[in-house]
Amino acid sequence: MPGRLSRRAIAEYISAGLIDGTSKNTLLNQLAAYLVESRRTKELDLIVRDIEFNLSQKGVVQTTITSAFDLSAETKKALEAFVKSKTKATQVSLTSVVEPSVIGGVKISIPGRELDQTVAHKLTVLKTRFKKA
Amino acid sequence: MTFLSQFAETTEAAGGGDIFTTLGIDWRLLIIQIVAFLILVFLLGKFVYPWLMKSVDERQANIEAASKAAMEAQKSAEANKEAVAELLAQARKEATEIVSTAKLESAEMVSASEKKAQKVAEQIVANAHDQLEKDVANARKVLYNDTLKLVGLATEKVISKKLDGKADNDLIASIVKAAK
Repeated sequence: MPGRLSRRAIAEYISAGLIDGTSKNTLLNQLAAYLVESRRTKELDLIVRDIEFNLSQKGVVQTTITSAFDLSAETKKALEAFVKSKTKATQVSLTSVVEPSVIGGVKISIPGRELDQTVAHKLTVLKTRFKKA
Repeated sequence: MTFLSQFAETTEAAGGGDIFTTLGIDWRLLIIQIVAFLILVFLLGKFVYPWLMKSVDERQANIEAASKAAMEAQKSAEANKEAVAELLAQARKEATEIVSTAKLESAEMVSASEKKAQKVAEQIVANAHDQLEKDVANARKVLYNDTLKLVGLATEKVISKKLDGKADNDLIASIVKAAK
């Protein structure tokens, strides 16, 4: 039985594979098999986060965009450029999430950072910042 | 007059006898009576008179002692009367002082009670004011927070209704532009 791998090592392996162009399905199957075998499935979220962070270190930034409406291609392009300019990334992978509860605006989540410019967030800030204790 | 007449007649009838015979006195009997009288006097002087005098002296002494005691009692009564009068005067003076002191103390107590009551009343009023101010401040705070919440909710509703996909994209573009 192989020794226990650290999360960093797993993330390094998976991110290297993704950059090298290894099939995503193959990498995911390997990861799933290893986690099941080593009974570490509970660490999946942490490992995914580590992979995203590792990718971002290598210039591949996984970005989650949360908005109330579907984003137009132009907007997506502008957001991608924005993320690139802020992270110095060579490749930006956008994942768009539509969530009506944010009312309007956008929330940009990249590994280790988040920019929340949604209307819901601004209203919450308004309500909490000016609320008297 | 009748007696003198009889006496003259008897004297005339007796004639020339001595005076004792004329007077009808038996001198022997007289001597015996004198002796008896002297014996009686001696006996009285020897036994009765001293006892009697002693009794009289005693009685006199008693009377004098009683008189003296009465005088002393009178003096004592007078002295006591003066003492009683003095005591009464002293008692009246003390009673007057006690009454005046009691009046003064009661006045002071009433004054102190009034001051205390006034202080308590002022404290109660001050506390009520403080509580009122706190309540008002709390009510204002609650009103402010509720207003803020309502403003937030209203803004949320208005924006939800007014904002469409295009406007949202424009908003995002402006956000990106401002963030750059």
